[in-house]
Amino acid sequence: MSVRIRGLTKRFTGKSSVVAIDNLDLEIEPGEFLVLLGPSGCGKTTTLRCIAGLETAEEGEIAFGDRTLFDAARRINVPPNKRNLGMVFQSYALWPHMTVRKNIGYPLRTRRIRGSEADQMIEEVATLVDTSNLLDRYPSQLSGGQQQRVALSRGLVAHPDLVLFDEPLSNLDARLRDLVRSEIHSLHARLGFTAVYVTHDQVEALALGDRLAIMRAGKLEQLATPEQIFEEPATDYVAGFIGMGNRLTVERHDSGWTHEGELVNGLAFDTRSATLSIRSRAEDVQLASPDEPAPPETINFKATVVDSEFGGRHMDVTVTIGGTRIMSRIPAGPRGSWARTLNAGQSVLASMHRHNVKAFDEVGQLIGATDRVLAN
Amino acid sequence: MIDAAHSHMTSRPRLLPLDRVVPRLTLFLFIGALGYLTVVPLVRLQVLALEHGGRAYSDAFSAPGIWKTVATTVELALGSLAIALVFGTGLAWAATTLSPRLRLLRIIPILPIVVPAVASVLGWTFLFSPHPGYLNQLLRHLPWWSHQYNGPVDIYSIPWIVIILGLALTAFIYLFVSAGLENISGELLEAAEVSGSSPVGVFFRVTLPLLRPALVYGTGVGLLLGLGQFTGPLLLGRAHNINVLTTQMFFATQQIPPQYNVAAALGSPLLLFGLAVLVLNRFLLGDHARFVTHGGKSFRSGARSSRVGAAAIVTYGIVATALPIIGLVLVAVSKFWTGSLHPSQFTLINFHTIFNDAGIQKGIRTSLVTSVIAIAIALPAGYVAASFLRRRTHRIARPILDFVVAMPLSIPAVIFGVGFLLTYTTRPFVLYGTKWVFVLVYVTLMIPFSTRMQLSGMVALGDTYAEASRVSGGGVLRTNFTILAPLMRATFGGAVALMFILLANEFAASLLVRSPTTQVMGTALYDYFGNGLYPQVACVALVMIGVTGAGVLLAIAVGGSDIFNKL
Repeated sequence: MSVRIRGLTKRFTGKSSVVAIDNLDLEIEPGEFLVLLGPSGCGKTTTLRCIAGLETAEEGEIAFGDRTLFDAARRINVPPNKRNLGMVFQSYALWPHMTVRKNIGYPLRTRRIRGSEADQMIEEVATLVDTSNLLDRYPSQLSGGQQQRVALSRGLVAHPDLVLFDEPLSNLDARLRDLVRSEIHSLHARLGFTAVYVTHDQVEALALGDRLAIMRAGKLEQLATPEQIFEEPATDYVAGFIGMGNRLTVERHDSGWTHEGELVNGLAFDTRSATLSIRSRAEDVQLASPDEPAPPETINFKATVVDSEFGGRHMDVTVTIGGTRIMSRIPAGPRGSWARTLNAGQSVLASMHRHNVKAFDEVGQLIGATDRVLAN
Repeated sequence: MIDAAHSHMTSRPRLLPLDRVVPRLTLFLFIGALGYLTVVPLVRLQVLALEHGGRAYSDAFSAPGIWKTVATTVELALGSLAIALVFGTGLAWAATTLSPRLRLLRIIPILPIVVPAVASVLGWTFLFSPHPGYLNQLLRHLPWWSHQYNGPVDIYSIPWIVIILGLALTAFIYLFVSAGLENISGELLEAAEVSGSSPVGVFFRVTLPLLRPALVYGTGVGLLLGLGQFTGPLLLGRAHNINVLTTQMFFATQQIPPQYNVAAALGSPLLLFGLAVLVLNRFLLGDHARFVTHGGKSFRSGARSSRVGAAAIVTYGIVATALPIIGLVLVAVSKFWTGSLHPSQFTLINFHTIFNDAGIQKGIRTSLVTSVIAIAIALPAGYVAASFLRRRTHRIARPILDFVVAMPLSIPAVIFGVGFLLTYTTRPFVLYGTKWVFVLVYVTLMIPFSTRMQLSGMVALGDTYAEASRVSGGGVLRTNFTILAPLMRATFGGAVALMFILLANEFAASLLVRSPTTQVMGTALYDYFGNGLYPQVACVALVMIGVTGAGVLLAIAVGGSDIFNKL
């Protein structure tokens, strides 16, 4: 079932009015797994709840296939129970007074599917999601991971048109989170349901999504496949959100580009901007002794070590240039290696391969592809 | 994916207008019905009072002694409130120092709320009536009072009325402050302590400021209750002609013909004050979130668990609850109330008498039947009201409902009594003389409690269970009946028990709407009192306490020992 959202706008009125969703357009293909990604307050959960019918938007349309579920102009608003949905909540939301079997069977009862047909559907989904042995227990007797698998079963049992996930892994500990995430992934691969998945975790988003919609202040910042977003983040904001945590603002000078008066070498852009911000991941920042020549094809600058943490196979080193902190993750090397001996106050040469650096103009838009960065 | 379920979900491209109209209509009918119950009697009273150019007002406030009455009303309210604030806050603090073993003691300071006011006031009378009071007689054995014929305590004098009322109000302040203390996370206090504050410093710099909303609210409600006091002044004030506005209202309705207009005019200051507190409360504490300190550990006072706290609570329990009950028991088992005790002549004949008295039997029955019916109405009504109040939609209807629901709590029951008496002795619904007028009064008085308790139950439950049901295809009715109602069983039980206690105790409004043929326990007791049949009066009072006590035990069994904190 395809989902079409047009011009959706939702405001929260209170002491101060907040625009949670701002004229949002979104199309979800049949069978697609779409991830809404963004920090808290960006409107992703509100969007999901509007699709579910749990919130009512002020403007816009929502349609499943050719069936309009919400249209502010025509005053159509189909209640959640008539939208043929499945939903998995962060808090699991299993009803504590019902057994697992009753919890899973509830969406069937509301759809008037009873008797052996219902039993068969429950068994089927329980086998798929590995909850068969839990059917006669109560939710309070289950662990968090088991509870979320039951919630998943409940969301899928009635073969809904659309399955909604509201940060379903956030309440699980790290190990279980990976486990349940891969289960959701393989279930989607097998069943091919259409899904909208809300998360603030980029790892989850990259792993699960057919496409990611990165939201900011109620608007779409970028909508693309995980690979595209990872390789070509459209804006400074997106880059920051998918792990390019190092950010340097640089200014154009006669002698080249500088950051707070410190020279940054290797930068040249096909742009008129006088200032840029350049982004990179910690893993892509290499460190070397300042006496060594800068490696070719890199953007590099002199920096000072602030802190160095031992991470087993790697070292997490924090350096500063002109007061800005840059994180670097470098191989730890063998005992006694140069990387392991780094100390606060030491001068280093930091370098990043051009391909791994993204530059953004004054308004945060990506500047060209980094291939076009020219040697200074 | 096989779309097995889809055939069951008929596609509906457009909602019928009916689907939008019906819920709204229901809401407005509901608010209308509640509004009729609560607002109409008050409006009719005012209309009557303002007739003929507001003659009732000039009559009421030019009567001789009226300003003394007003002054007495304020004096009693402020005096008892001062006592209650000191003792109530102190006891609430003491309760936090109780060791886990003694935690059940926390219920003791609440008992004066559940002991019927008529019963405890009578108990005090039997102990401290100037000449025959048992404790007065005992005190006169002491050398410095041995020469007196009366006293040393005169329960009928203003200072002692203030003390009695103050002891009763203490329970309410205790309740509000305890609830406030419970909402303060223990980590906040620990943070202050490790930052170098002494326990006393923590109390004044952190605890007290965080308690502000509870104290403001408690003071407001305490003042309302103090100004609206009826039972105490009615039973104790007659001897020295001490009058307050509520008693004067009652006397006005007892005139022939009844002067409802004068009663209404006399009630207006209390009505206005009640409405002002209601509005101010909304205004001052509107942003409750600022005071929500939940999270982390529950409140623990810096003080070590101490025996002093336990001793204070037990002492209060003995003085405020046990003593008056002892007074009642002594009189109930005596042939006459003479002041001297003759244990050899103790008898149960009085209980025999009252249980064979058709009037009393009928009173008990009417009390039970009207209470049960009223609860059966108030519980679902409160559920519906709480459901609407819980939602953020209905921008206009919601505050109106909120107001209507809260009103009976902030307006003295006597005013409602007069309003109901007026409204239901005249058309269109002439119900006076039937038990239905009690039912309506009781429903009105219980709506705030029913709504508040269920609202707090719903808040505690959260939204996700209901949302999970809605997205699973459950409609509004199915969601409420199969998901929410079963999950709120404990809340329902607690609310039922609480309402039962309050209704079994109800006296002020009942006294106004009763008729010679339709009485409830409290009003039957008042008649016995008027006839001077003290031993029987004491017996009826004990029966009332017994019925209420059963309700309390039920409430605690169903809702847990902190059930009264949800008031």
